[in-house]
Amino acid sequence: MGRYTIRRLLQLIPVLLGTTFLINFMVWQLPGGNPFANRCGDRPCPEAFVAAMTEQFGLNDPFWLQYLKYLTNVLQGNLGVNFNQVPVIDLIKLAYPTTIKLALLAVAIEAVVGIGLGVISGLKKGGFFDSSITIFTLFLLSLPVFVTGFTLQWILGIQLGIINPTVSAGAPWSELIVPAIVLASLNMAFTTRLTRTSIVENFRADYVRTAVAKGLPRRRVVGIHLLRNSAIPVVTFLGTEIGALMGGAIVTEGIFNITGIGGLLFGSIGRRDYTVVVPVATLLVVVYLLANLLVDLLYGVLDPRIRYE
Amino acid sequence: MTKAVTEPVSSGDRPYSGSLLEVEDLQVEFRTQAGVAKAVNGVTYSVDAGETLAVLGESGSGKSVTAQTIMGILDMPPGVVRGGRIRFRGVDLLTMPEAERRKIRGEGISMIFQDALSALNPLFPVGWQIGEMFRVHRGLSKKQAYAKAVELMDRVRIPAAKQRLRDFPHQFSGGMRQRIMIAMAIALDPEVLIADEPTTALDVTVQAQIMDLLAELQRESNMALILITHDLGVVADVAHKIAVMYGGRIVEQASVFDLYAKPAHPYTKGLLDSIPRVDQKGQDLFAIKGIPPNLLHMPSGCAFHPRCVFKRDNCTTDVPALLTVEGPRRSACHYSREVLDGVAG
Amino acid sequence: MSDPVTIQTAGVAAGGEVQETTAPGSGKPRSLWQDAWAELRKQPLFWISLALLAVFIVMAIFPQLFTGKDPAFAELRRSLEPPSAAAWFGYDLQGRDVYARTIYGARASVVVGVLTTVLAVLVGVIMGVIGGFAGGWVDSLTSRIGEIFIGVPYLLGAILILSTVAPAQENPGAVLITAVVIIVLSVLSWPIVARIARSSLLSVKHADYVLAARALGASPGRIIFRHLLPNSLAPIIVVATISMGSYISAEATLSFLGVGLRAPVISWGIAIADHTDYLRTALHAMLFPSIFLSVCVLAFVMLGDAVRSALDPKLR
Repeated sequence: MGRYTIRRLLQLIPVLLGTTFLINFMVWQLPGGNPFANRCGDRPCPEAFVAAMTEQFGLNDPFWLQYLKYLTNVLQGNLGVNFNQVPVIDLIKLAYPTTIKLALLAVAIEAVVGIGLGVISGLKKGGFFDSSITIFTLFLLSLPVFVTGFTLQWILGIQLGIINPTVSAGAPWSELIVPAIVLASLNMAFTTRLTRTSIVENFRADYVRTAVAKGLPRRRVVGIHLLRNSAIPVVTFLGTEIGALMGGAIVTEGIFNITGIGGLLFGSIGRRDYTVVVPVATLLVVVYLLANLLVDLLYGVLDPRIRYE
Repeated sequence: MTKAVTEPVSSGDRPYSGSLLEVEDLQVEFRTQAGVAKAVNGVTYSVDAGETLAVLGESGSGKSVTAQTIMGILDMPPGVVRGGRIRFRGVDLLTMPEAERRKIRGEGISMIFQDALSALNPLFPVGWQIGEMFRVHRGLSKKQAYAKAVELMDRVRIPAAKQRLRDFPHQFSGGMRQRIMIAMAIALDPEVLIADEPTTALDVTVQAQIMDLLAELQRESNMALILITHDLGVVADVAHKIAVMYGGRIVEQASVFDLYAKPAHPYTKGLLDSIPRVDQKGQDLFAIKGIPPNLLHMPSGCAFHPRCVFKRDNCTTDVPALLTVEGPRRSACHYSREVLDGVAG
Repeated sequence: MSDPVTIQTAGVAAGGEVQETTAPGSGKPRSLWQDAWAELRKQPLFWISLALLAVFIVMAIFPQLFTGKDPAFAELRRSLEPPSAAAWFGYDLQGRDVYARTIYGARASVVVGVLTTVLAVLVGVIMGVIGGFAGGWVDSLTSRIGEIFIGVPYLLGAILILSTVAPAQENPGAVLITAVVIIVLSVLSWPIVARIARSSLLSVKHADYVLAARALGASPGRIIFRHLLPNSLAPIIVVATISMGSYISAEATLSFLGVGLRAPVISWGIAIADHTDYLRTALHAMLFPSIFLSVCVLAFVMLGDAVRSALDPKLR
């Protein structure tokens, strides 16, 4: 297990180098024109300002040197300042807790609702409930997140007045519930389907038959033997998706006006404030990759066949 | 262990004959999209304490489906029990409430499977899985259950049982896994043990060890053993009675000695002739021609007629009944006398 | 345990005659496709999705069949007027006919969905086949490159690339804008196809009939096209049909965020984005594009569902 962890961590390094290189390249090399040229309102910026900024952010260096400097800074924990000289780390500190809250809530909803519906659906395969759930998940999968978001905002916020259409500053847990449902909706449908498939497949497994032949009560056959085995792919899916959810929060945060990491990133892209874009995107990628790694390790914990390889 | 004494209850038209486990005129169908397959078509057999019944047949003959129906682990759907009775200590299992039937599983009747690797739960230690029998049926604590599991693993001769208690199924060899399966099945001293192809997935040397173990355990506890196999060679040493199945029916029933000496059904004769024997060295080995019947499209008349060397005209039209040939032996062939006497063919 | 299995195979045998004798290496794994088609034909979902897709495809090619109005014609004085007999879906912020714009919006979605799938499958299969067949360092390289692209969360990657590519274009036309979105979406998706192509390739690479073909001196090209690809096809088709819907959804999301399609392209995502501020006052302006978008994605998702359950025997 220890060696496996180390090997997986080592494998992460080239991927991390590749993705950060990609992000830096896209952000600094692709756009035409100077990002500082249009930062002074209607008038063109003074040349001295542009020159100073270009110098400060090292844009005159060749790209490989820029990337190297970036790597050294990040490794030293220095994320730099944005174009308005505010430390990026402060911006992240301000925005990240909200996004983490939102993502955790979303995963909780995915897990509880998705697994619950999937288990019932799988156990009652072919019945009315199962068919209804299949159609329900089909619809959820077809609705783009922003459509779901606006629908709930319109019905619950504007028509019924149950929730605030937008989340207030500080983002209390209670106000994040509906945005979390929106963020979770797509994955919830996937979780439901995955759980159902897993239950249906394992239901015919030989060890479930053995459990029945042992004279165990149905509760125990299902609750211990069937569920434990069916849970493995579902748990790994949920784990992988935690990382992806943070990236996906951009849309949800926009609709409900939540000041989270997604909003920070998207706003910075709009302002072409690339000194914020790069570290925030990197952070999201790192979280995503670490979540994937954790899931791989979790897989070993859940399944002894992998643990002892 | 004291066994619950159940009053014999007559649940059918025939009185209770006194056998421990009786299967009577069992009919099982599989309803598939392609049609209805009669997997078991009027099977009748019985087994008593201390007795070993071998059920012989190729895959698709209905031997495993019969066993699964006895155990109550048939996949339903697509399986449907269409008729018949399965009486355990005189009580019909098929009409029994599920809650009572559950208590018989493991306590009264137990089963071991062909592929122990897939039949054991991959996520739990073997000791836990054996101990589960005691925790669920006897209410023992976790610790007591583990202690019992060690005893059982010793009894089925798994070396260093205590150290291996918390190992997982995939960490054992095929033979050891089957021993674990056996330990789990005999945990509660069942009266009937059904072994469904227990040695098919194993090496030849290991096969013999497992069969010896089963025979020994049977002698110690006086269990009834139903041994399901397609391998005539496995049967000879351990079985008392044999039921040969073909196409969902029993085609011949006899004591082991009689059957090996003189088969009364062409199918049995074909099976015996296809075993290599020392005195036939140098000759061509006999093989039954053709393929097993398609259960969705059974041949008319006797299901075996397309492959039968004794075939006459009425074989394609009339289904032969399972009739007594001589003594306790029965055969489902219009010409069983001739087969027995070796005159035809 | 063996008996029910036999019955199941017996069931298959009754449907398509003796098929066990047909070696899978004959180049045409016939029974699988015939089976899948028989399975597909029985599913109502398949026919519903096909009918819906037919409508959307006709709408994409000949929008004039559905509306005589010009989607670009704007009358500002009618801005945000609600639906009426003259304009079934009402008018948008610019005073353009929402119905006409919604009909014309189908083209962008269908084109992006289909072309992204084609491109992603093409690149993915080529990379997967190269990696899987060559093995060694080539395999490691292609796999690592794929991991880098998958290592960026999909939406995040698309936003990053699109928002940095877009400013570089000077007055782009509709074709260029759409092409950029298609390329970006495929660049981020091909590794999924490559992974599937590679793994199903590896699973058949050492199958007896392929080894036999190699032993008989068949050229790598022949082995790839006659043996390996036909056998890897089913999972690739499944993932391709399933992802088609998600590409459409992704395009709409990116357009909604303002980094995907832009004017002069007409797209449901843009229409929705343009009217988010009027949710309270003029719901119709975003309601109808949302419905069309969702139904279109639904049609593709249903098709993917039907195809998967037909091609994946485990789900039957």
